[in-house]
Amino acid sequence: MPTRTETSLTLAAALALANSTVLAAEAVAPAHPLDQPAALMAAFAARIGHRADVLEFRLGEHYARMLVQTGEDFDEYEAIPGQVMAQGTPRKAGSVECRKKLPFDAVDAALGVRLLAQARTIAAANGYQEPPNLELGAGMMCEELGWRVVLHSERNSEVFLHLTWSTDGTKAKAREFRDDSWHKVDPAKLLAGAAQVVPAAPPKGLPHVEGDGRKRDFLRSIDADLKRLAASTRAPLALRRISVDATQLSVDLYRADDRRTVSTWLVDADGRMQLWREDKTMALDCNKPFATGDFPLAQLPAMIADAPGLVAAMPGAVVKDVAVYRSGFCGKPHVYIRIEDERGYGNVEFDQAGRLLRADIQ
Amino acid sequence: MSRIAFALACLLAAHGVQAQDKDFQWPDLTDFLTRLIHELGPPIKVYKLEIDRDGKVDLWIQNQDRRDLIDSWEYDHGRIEGPIPIKFKEYPSLAALDHHVIELTTIDFPRLPSMLASARAKLALPDARVTYIELERGDSSGFIALTDSPIWTFHLETARHDGRVEFDLHGRMLDADKD
Repeated sequence: MPTRTETSLTLAAALALANSTVLAAEAVAPAHPLDQPAALMAAFAARIGHRADVLEFRLGEHYARMLVQTGEDFDEYEAIPGQVMAQGTPRKAGSVECRKKLPFDAVDAALGVRLLAQARTIAAANGYQEPPNLELGAGMMCEELGWRVVLHSERNSEVFLHLTWSTDGTKAKAREFRDDSWHKVDPAKLLAGAAQVVPAAPPKGLPHVEGDGRKRDFLRSIDADLKRLAASTRAPLALRRISVDATQLSVDLYRADDRRTVSTWLVDADGRMQLWREDKTMALDCNKPFATGDFPLAQLPAMIADAPGLVAAMPGAVVKDVAVYRSGFCGKPHVYIRIEDERGYGNVEFDQAGRLLRADIQ
Repeated sequence: MSRIAFALACLLAAHGVQAQDKDFQWPDLTDFLTRLIHELGPPIKVYKLEIDRDGKVDLWIQNQDRRDLIDSWEYDHGRIEGPIPIKFKEYPSLAALDHHVIELTTIDFPRLPSMLASARAKLALPDARVTYIELERGDSSGFIALTDSPIWTFHLETARHDGRVEFDLHGRMLDADKD
């Protein structure tokens, strides 16, 4: 494997020769880039053909890519093992958000090869997949220039291991993403398996109730399905929001054991009910449930049927969707009906007693 | 002004925009607008006009029978499609629409090729291609931002840069930027 001095000399020679259009036309990527980093850099130098700065360099055995800057212009070059390298592809200046760079001859591809090998050893020791390549650059957040790799695991798709090294490879950092936050890891302990991937917990089987085969139009009736939902959850409904369209009923319920957690149940047109998700409420949310007796449930189908006719300027309108939730910050539960025609939308609102409050174009 | 005279005025106003730029196929606005005036009659009040990179035109106009409605008319190299109802997320008021629209006769279409040349020169991108061109009332992005006036915006690109140049209806440059 060539030393750094040998690499630089090779690059200098290649750059000097790059003025020759004959050589530029014959820039061929080595068949085994990780075994021949100097040859790879010489091929890039020949293809580029002039002095340039490097913003990104991706290195792997099957593919290498370099983003370089020459004056105000940016170009991408690709090397595919054993193939003649194509002309650079111009990149729009506006798409290059991070402009951190280093001179071409400061890019030590041999170091990159060693770091990629190290990253692969770390991956194997900690249960991550083998990374296909390593990148020299400033990362997505335009951090310090350095060599970077992100390790992924089939055991747990929510866990990542970021490894970074300074451009000269002397400083290493590692951080692991798990449990929704970043944790620093001592790079020196990674080879000993200090950041083992914790396998993902098996998915919980969410409760569901099979349909009864009856076809529904929720704009005509929801009370029977609200009763089914109350029966299946074995508790009176502590409602936060009801959302309705023709083919789906969605009900947000406060959990009986935790008023700051909301369970969203979906009912489809065949009556199949499923707990879809559970979410924490936000700070300062009202968190005060309402019941089916707190709004005019029995009148709801008539309100929905009448709503399109209440906006005179939208004669051909139809109901888009309906929602029932507390008005304002923590007011009484109101019925909100959204209508639409081919030109726009309208809103109809009834209060907790079924009185019409508004009917207008949005 | 009689309908025929109006149509002729528009025809003359539109004359010249068929002149071909070196690398942009200007749409035949004379054909489009003449046929549209014949179909709808004057006045034609423009909510928005867009010409895309292929020379297709999307013209939003106020429906003069129902001035609270906006219709789209598309012109694709001789084929006209419309009216296509425009659906707004929040429907503007009639007063807002009346204010927003631009009378067709105030639009100097023959200026377009020279505006394109000026845009390329301003951006120092002589070979820039048209991404799209639009006309709509609004606020300029430039130093005097609250113009609330009809603005032509030329969106151009090269392999290395995107650029945008704004003009008023008289062809005066309002703003330009390049990245």
